[in-house]
Amino acid sequence: MSATLKHAAWVLRGNPVTALAATGATLLVLIAIFAPWLAPHDPILSNVPMALQPPSATYWAGTDQLGRDVFSRLLVATRLDLAIAVSAVGISFAAGAVIGSFCGYIGGWLDKSVGRLVDVLMAFPLFVLAMAMVAALGNRVENIVIATAFINLPFYIRFARAEVNVRRNLGWVEAARSGGESHMTIVLRYLLPNILPAMAVQISLNLGWAILNAAGLSFIGLGVQPPTPEWGIMVAEGARFITAGQWWLVAYPGLALMLTVLCFNLLGDGLRDILDPRMRT
Amino acid sequence: MRALKSVGVRVGRRLVASVPALLGVVVFTFVLMRVLPGDPAVFFASGPNAGQAEIQMIREQMGLDRPVHEQLIRYFSEIGRGQLGRSMTTGQAVVADLRERLPASLELTLVALILALGAAIPLGILAALRPNSPLDHVVRFVCSMGVCVPTFVSGLLLIYVFYVVLGIAPDPTGRIDIFAASPPDITGFLLLDFAITGDWEGWRAAAGQIILPACTMALFVLAPLARMTRASMLAVLGSDFIRTARSIGLSRWKVIVVHGLRNALLPVITITGIVFSTMLGANVLVEKVFSWPGVGSYALDALLGSDYAPVQGFVLMMALAFVVVNLLIDVLYGIADPRVNVE
Amino acid sequence: MKFNRRQGFQAAAAAGVAATAAPREAMSQTRAETLRQVMGGVINSLDATMLGGTREGFGLVMNTYDRLCSMGRKPVSTGGFTFDLDNIRGELAERIDRSADGLTYTFHIRQNATWHDGTPVTAEDVKWSLDRSVSARSLAPPQMSMSSYTSPDQYKIVGEKTVEVKLPRSDRLALGNLSTPYAMMINSKLAKQHATSDDPWAINYLKENQAGGGAYIVESHRPGQQLQLRRNDNWKNGLNGELPYFRRIIMQTVPEAATRASLVERGDADLCIDLAASDVPAIEQRNRAKVVAIPQGNTFQCIVFNTRVAPFDNPKVRRAFALALPYDAMFQAALFSRGSKYYGASWTQAPNGLFPQPLGVNQDLDRAKALLAEAGFPNGLETTFTYAVSMSAFVDPMAALLQEALGRIGVRVAIQKLPDAQIGTLIVERRLPFFTDLGSAWLPSPDYFFRLYYSGETRWNYSGWQNAEVTAMAQEARFTIDQARYDDICRRMIDISLEQMPHVMLWSGNHEAVMAKNIEGYTYWFHRMVDWRDLKRS
Repeated sequence: MSATLKHAAWVLRGNPVTALAATGATLLVLIAIFAPWLAPHDPILSNVPMALQPPSATYWAGTDQLGRDVFSRLLVATRLDLAIAVSAVGISFAAGAVIGSFCGYIGGWLDKSVGRLVDVLMAFPLFVLAMAMVAALGNRVENIVIATAFINLPFYIRFARAEVNVRRNLGWVEAARSGGESHMTIVLRYLLPNILPAMAVQISLNLGWAILNAAGLSFIGLGVQPPTPEWGIMVAEGARFITAGQWWLVAYPGLALMLTVLCFNLLGDGLRDILDPRMRT
Repeated sequence: MRALKSVGVRVGRRLVASVPALLGVVVFTFVLMRVLPGDPAVFFASGPNAGQAEIQMIREQMGLDRPVHEQLIRYFSEIGRGQLGRSMTTGQAVVADLRERLPASLELTLVALILALGAAIPLGILAALRPNSPLDHVVRFVCSMGVCVPTFVSGLLLIYVFYVVLGIAPDPTGRIDIFAASPPDITGFLLLDFAITGDWEGWRAAAGQIILPACTMALFVLAPLARMTRASMLAVLGSDFIRTARSIGLSRWKVIVVHGLRNALLPVITITGIVFSTMLGANVLVEKVFSWPGVGSYALDALLGSDYAPVQGFVLMMALAFVVVNLLIDVLYGIADPRVNVE
Repeated sequence: MKFNRRQGFQAAAAAGVAATAAPREAMSQTRAETLRQVMGGVINSLDATMLGGTREGFGLVMNTYDRLCSMGRKPVSTGGFTFDLDNIRGELAERIDRSADGLTYTFHIRQNATWHDGTPVTAEDVKWSLDRSVSARSLAPPQMSMSSYTSPDQYKIVGEKTVEVKLPRSDRLALGNLSTPYAMMINSKLAKQHATSDDPWAINYLKENQAGGGAYIVESHRPGQQLQLRRNDNWKNGLNGELPYFRRIIMQTVPEAATRASLVERGDADLCIDLAASDVPAIEQRNRAKVVAIPQGNTFQCIVFNTRVAPFDNPKVRRAFALALPYDAMFQAALFSRGSKYYGASWTQAPNGLFPQPLGVNQDLDRAKALLAEAGFPNGLETTFTYAVSMSAFVDPMAALLQEALGRIGVRVAIQKLPDAQIGTLIVERRLPFFTDLGSAWLPSPDYFFRLYYSGETRWNYSGWQNAEVTAMAQEARFTIDQARYDDICRRMIDISLEQMPHVMLWSGNHEAVMAKNIEGYTYWFHRMVDWRDLKRS
């Protein structure tokens, strides 16, 4: 364990970008937790006389159409956006890893039929599939999460399957099997933890992608319901004001979205370096 | 000859294997569309005073008054006859709409992919030559920036800067200036058609129209391509035959480009294929923003209007494209690396 | 300007549009004589009566087909013109005679009127077109029935160029309805050649082909992308027989509102009528393009209560809600106050029979709270407010304000935004408790509003409200020629509707047409689309 930490520390030192990304991600989590106390204004309460004010000392990122403070809304939105990303990726990871592992371990008809289903899913234009799912289930947060998780599922299944497939006949698995462990235990207790690190990279890369996916859904009106602050909606609504000259409505949420996604992507790269020594050349 | 035959067998086998997936796609989309809570008949019977009678007439016209399994059977028999139903949104046969719009999407995606590859491969090589150097970090940062902005935002910003403020881009309304002449319809790819007829003025105009949406899309796929180039270059550069090539005194660039790049390209081809089929389905929002008359924006409008036939047709076509692209990669791979054939 | 080979070819081959005679003069046309309009929607049929035809098609058929008569227009103080339902003139008819009892109209067709193919317009054509408007499986019959047109028997050929129209009762909207897009006059000889036994009214043919005689001829049509028209230089049915100014019209679909705004502001497009409310004040201020803002007296935005489900089956709850709304803030946030208010009057009894007009409804939270308690909800209640995705640009801020204000009287509102297709179904099935929608009337007389939006079983009676007195009065008013009696009825209907509050009238947003500075003559029409015949470049 300490060896891993040492290795991580070594990578972070030699890799300032990853260190920066890690710091950024920590900061994001802190903001998500403490946003309601950090926000200088009420993120929901309207103040129509102060509508569409440019950034100033009182309103650091300006105000929107209803006179709400954009900066406060950005802070508060962090929690929801991270929650969407983490739960969507979490669900598809959990489901995908378990299904994929069993397929890889057991093989046979199970592997074949799941493989066919995955083929079907992979052949779909994913964004359109997500749109259709949200439209069918109703555009609530939980359905956005489900749709995002669903369209991610095939990648996790394939990944887990491939990883388990190479390990299923390794010595320590054989040992567990001859030690009388059930197949269930072998997959869940031995194989899954073993492939987790490799999948962690995929997870952090997908976190950013999940946020963008939710933003895209908001842009076509299938996102989170107003007046809940959410970056994707704020960007989508702000985009309407670009030509009118109210740039702060799209610029700041866009920046928040960008920095967050950037953090996760760079973190993913860094994780890959930490976990995969071959990349360390 | 044997190699060719084995490629043929592989292609055939892959095609047959893809049939169940395609069937699955058709059925799944069909059911999904009918699960949508909206009734298309109500949406399209929106004329002033339209009442229940008009809604019922549209339901009959769309065949929605029949049980779902009967609708599905009718749909399959339509597919068998090469038809995909009729779009309520445009009033045209879906097949005709897709035929008209697919070249626009394909052209945009291809141009974007070429731009992306043109930037990603050099960047990836540069990063691989000096891993973990500041240059590597800069490349990684630049690429990641592209993935961080939703395509509709980068698209709108590009329009704002290059069209509204600077005025150097043509108006972002589709594939060609509305007052200019179109080339004769040879391939459907405007850039090709203009080149074939030798109309270079028209070619420049069409290129001007495509550059902003293509850049928007290219930005988004830069990262995976550059990252893959870097990784596979790193792996190749560390291998024995490169060391050998260096040690026998071949020039640095020859080693990198001829021996390194050629061997590193295989994984890049694979990911390019995946990126291409994803892009083709994912440029929905880019097409919307740039009024690009492609299949993506077509499907989007249809989906929001619960217009079943175009969405089903679009998804089926995308699934076909996915199969074809994968097949192409497979064949390319097989030709480039004969070991793959052994399986 | 170059002739577009590809589009010409496609139109002729794919759509079969009458583009065979490629106009030579097109070559010499200049940009100045071309009008380029950008729009968010699409035109999916050349025949607007088609089931599923889009709104954009209304403007098209007004220009490609003529009607027997046409509404006039009157100037608006803020610039531009608006339609005038009280001033109807002949269009394809050169003279219209009305019998003394008001039950018979005789239309005399212009002697030299021709169709696009050059054949003369006959009484048979007119009779066939009128028959089609009440018989075909299309959107036209329900509209025609709004003014007592229900059967082909009402239309009679009395001369080679004369048609007689009979009404069962004298109807206030008899001529107005013949001026609407659905009452278009069709070249019956051409249409009948393409009619089949399954399709006697040539619906399939006219969807993709024209058989009209209007001021413009469709030259090419790429559905979902663009439509190009050229002027019919033989057209003589305009006011004083004048030809329209523009020789060529381009209608182009540009889905992003922000892009449409930039196109007009930079002078690349000449006209756009569907911009986001937020863009218009900025465009006006920068003054690079002209904004013509015309009140749309025939439309209204409303907040609807489903009167058939609890708690909104209780009029007290509905009135409590109406009293809780922050009207001015909503108007400001949604439309930047660009429009006409239908709230804010101080009276409690309607002073006249005009409708819609500013009504005696204002925010009063104390009374709202009291009413809610009286209705049996002293601790408030919970409900969901729904609206369509296509309206989100202006309803998003409105909904947030509504939620906040209703919270003050203890009502907890969840907000739900749904795709348009879904919301339509839910409204028809009366499954939404509380939502907002937009209403508009082609023939905006008070009784028409009450008939369509306050009674009946169609979707347009959004609230599902059934009030025997209003239903009866709306029917009576329609046939009431005596103006004093008519006003009395309308006053009473307004008072009842305020007391019962099936829906809250909010406002009507201005019709904001943004155009190049040198475009003149812009007219707001009841169908809310552009009539290119009115426009010219100075």
